Amino acid sequence: MNSTYLSYAAKRLVQAVVVILLAYVFTFVVVSILPGDPITNVLRDPQNGFSEKQIQEIIAAQGLDRPILVQLWTALSNFVTGDLGLSMRSNRPVTTLIAEVLPSTLILASTGLGVALALAAAIAYGTQFVPRRFGQGLLRGFPSLFLSVPNFVIGLVLIHTFGFQLGLFRVIESNSFLATLFAAIALGIPVSARIAEVLIANLDHEAEQEYAAVARGRGLGQVRLFAKHLLKPSSLPVVTVIALAIGELLGGSLITETVFGRTGVGSLVQRSVSTQDLPVLQAVVSLAAVVFVLVNLIADLVYPLLDPRVKLIGGPKYRPTTADENSADTSRAVTT
Amino acid sequence: MTKRFSSRFLSRRRLLITTSAVAAAALVVMAGLNPVQSAGVPQNGGNITFLIDSLGSTWIPNNSAISSFQGHIWGHVTDKLVYVDADGKVSPWIAESWEQNDNATQFTLHLKKGVTFSDGTPLDASAVVANLDIWYAGRRNEGINPIGLFPKTYDRAEAVDATTVKVFFKATTLGFIPTLGYHGSILISPKTIAQPASQQADLAKTSGSGPYVVDSWKEGDFVKLIRRKDYNWGPAAVGHTGPAHLDSITYKLVSEPSLRVAAVQSGQADVAYNASPQELKSLKEAGFTIATPRYLGFVNGLAINTKLEPYNDVKVRQAFQSGINRKEILDTVYTPDWKLATSFIQSNVPGATDHSDLLAYNPGRAEKLLDEAGWTKGSNGIRSKDGKQLSLTLYSNPYLATSKSIDELIAQQLGKIGWKVYIRAYDVVTFGEKVKFGGPAVPAYEVTRSFIDAGTVASILTDANNGENWFALGESDKKLNELRDKIASAASTQIRDPLLDELQKYVLEQGYFIPRTQIVQWIYVQSPKLKGEVYNGIAYASYYTATISE
Repeated sequence: MNSTYLSYAAKRLVQAVVVILLAYVFTFVVVSILPGDPITNVLRDPQNGFSEKQIQEIIAAQGLDRPILVQLWTALSNFVTGDLGLSMRSNRPVTTLIAEVLPSTLILASTGLGVALALAAAIAYGTQFVPRRFGQGLLRGFPSLFLSVPNFVIGLVLIHTFGFQLGLFRVIESNSFLATLFAAIALGIPVSARIAEVLIANLDHEAEQEYAAVARGRGLGQVRLFAKHLLKPSSLPVVTVIALAIGELLGGSLITETVFGRTGVGSLVQRSVSTQDLPVLQAVVSLAAVVFVLVNLIADLVYPLLDPRVKLIGGPKYRPTTADENSADTSRAVTT
Repeated sequence: MTKRFSSRFLSRRRLLITTSAVAAAALVVMAGLNPVQSAGVPQNGGNITFLIDSLGSTWIPNNSAISSFQGHIWGHVTDKLVYVDADGKVSPWIAESWEQNDNATQFTLHLKKGVTFSDGTPLDASAVVANLDIWYAGRRNEGINPIGLFPKTYDRAEAVDATTVKVFFKATTLGFIPTLGYHGSILISPKTIAQPASQQADLAKTSGSGPYVVDSWKEGDFVKLIRRKDYNWGPAAVGHTGPAHLDSITYKLVSEPSLRVAAVQSGQADVAYNASPQELKSLKEAGFTIATPRYLGFVNGLAINTKLEPYNDVKVRQAFQSGINRKEILDTVYTPDWKLATSFIQSNVPGATDHSDLLAYNPGRAEKLLDEAGWTKGSNGIRSKDGKQLSLTLYSNPYLATSKSIDELIAQQLGKIGWKVYIRAYDVVTFGEKVKFGGPAVPAYEVTRSFIDAGTVASILTDANNGENWFALGESDKKLNELRDKIASAASTQIRDPLLDELQKYVLEQGYFIPRTQIVQWIYVQSPKLKGEVYNGIAYASYYTATISE
């Protein structure tokens, strides 16, 4: 590990922190310019029976009548010191709220990723080795099919079939093993499509290489050829796609959590958006930014170690050639 | 005869044989017929799951709105001073009896003895005073709100002795006692009340005196309640005062309505809240219990902005009143569980009177009134006057799922008599921002609203005491103000009821309020195994008296 690498790593780290802070400020501004303020929306629910005067008094007590910049400054300085404040909606500490929902989402997202990887590998394997007359072409259509069926439709079909008809899991025990697995399948199916697409393209590319032909000539079996020779070189770009899939897993978890009656970051965001619960929203957006930045940071820090041809600091980055190089790079430019 | 019989036949040995035979037979019979025989006697035990679409936003007892989702939990975890049933009838609960002075400004409450909160604190006079004080004033700078619908005339409360509380008001407050039976007025342990808002927001740290206590909960996920074994002070009105029968009640959040119903159908849950009215018929046929309790409050209808043209013209408003076919709304949008409006307050509210005649569908009368008001029909079937079209914009209430369908039907009905109706459907946030009673662009504001006591109605309609001024009349309508003042100062229901009747007739005649239907705000789809639940005055199901058969 040389000094060039270390200063590269340091620079990436500073960038990461700036991104997180900017995400925080951006959320604040966006929510602040939305019509209405959070407290008023709750108080104006006619069932509350508050008069306009009472509402104004409560708003003043919450400090929501102060200039927006003052509010931002207070929020930002608290954030930097790690104080995420109280939820405006429930008056409970934001850190508690997040700690309650995070494990469930992490379990769902990681299981979903596992499902996606297994499914992608199975489809990719099939496209290489299932004979054409047994539906190889059909398998190649799977990723597009997976992408075109909405997440919630998959979820509802799974629940009605396996939950209500076959009774394999109970919706009300949404954190049980089987309920989690089926939620992960609903979440993983669309994600598997992207991974499968890249994997198939790379396998096609590698399968045409001379070494593959040689291996086949030596009479190597299909499974060994796939596992030992083709999969490894095809997988490197998949790392990039997985980094992107993290976003999709977190985003998709909102719908999956709603459909499967799970509590998680997704449902917390949904509740917070509908009530404009600023402290919670900011914390969640910052959390998402942290996850994205970390995943990308790891990818960026790992790449030069894996492949010495990758240039450090500025300059065009060089990655191993893949069929999906372009799409992968554009998305990375957005997230970093 | 008996004596002889016993002396001859009942030797010790025979007695032994006979009793064991009888005992054996009884055992066999009981084993076989157990469910039938015990049908009349509630059985203890069992757990139920109630699927709900939301659990609201905060658990600070004061801050939950009067008819919000948390009411289901509070109804089991806490008690109230009085019980108000589905007909608005007030009966003793924690307050065993009460008296009031002649002009209803002073009340004395006598409390039940031996009641305790789940944290061990006694529910005595000082606990009641602490509750009354925070209901009225809250602690705003700490984020604890007053209860919006608690009488603003409250002065103070005093603990006379351990079981007697005296409550003083600055003006006649006939509605005070019924107020104590509503959702907001839940009795909370003084220890909980003393806690800061962030502690009160943790449901597990809140102690009430109800038949259930919170076992565990997770925000946005579930709340599990378990039975309190020493509970012995239930309201006599529900026919049971001891501990609840069910061991536990779990409220589980499932936001997708079809999943809630499907889970009950497949036996995975016992109650599904808020199903769509269209599904109810088939569910009923499949043997599920459907409950559509009404609550005490205003009917679902439209408050007219009398400042806005052409709705400042009484003839146009009256045409509107006669131009709506309310029967068709029930037949098309709802099921027979819904009822026709007979006034602008629900028919189960004490003091509500039947004014169906004023609400009859009469398109001929409507057309005649519009002709008289100078709105003439053009070749396109739309009426106009001085080059202006007769138009109406309806803002569908985002709090009521069926609101837009009703608006669409009203648009058709009014369309037939020459009205051009536009419909705007906003989300809750935008609606709250843009649509207000008497707003400059809002000709008709849709109301769905429960209230505490019919006496408060009058001041909501006008702008007296920070009233909401529904019809934008201000102080301009002398008759309405006169009725309002008389109703507010009435010291007994005997004096008040005829005045309320007059108010209802006047408001409907003037076309200030256009009722649509009586409202069923909540729909319960329940497994046939679960029986014996009770619905209170705001249509919450209480499972305190319920039992479940396996």
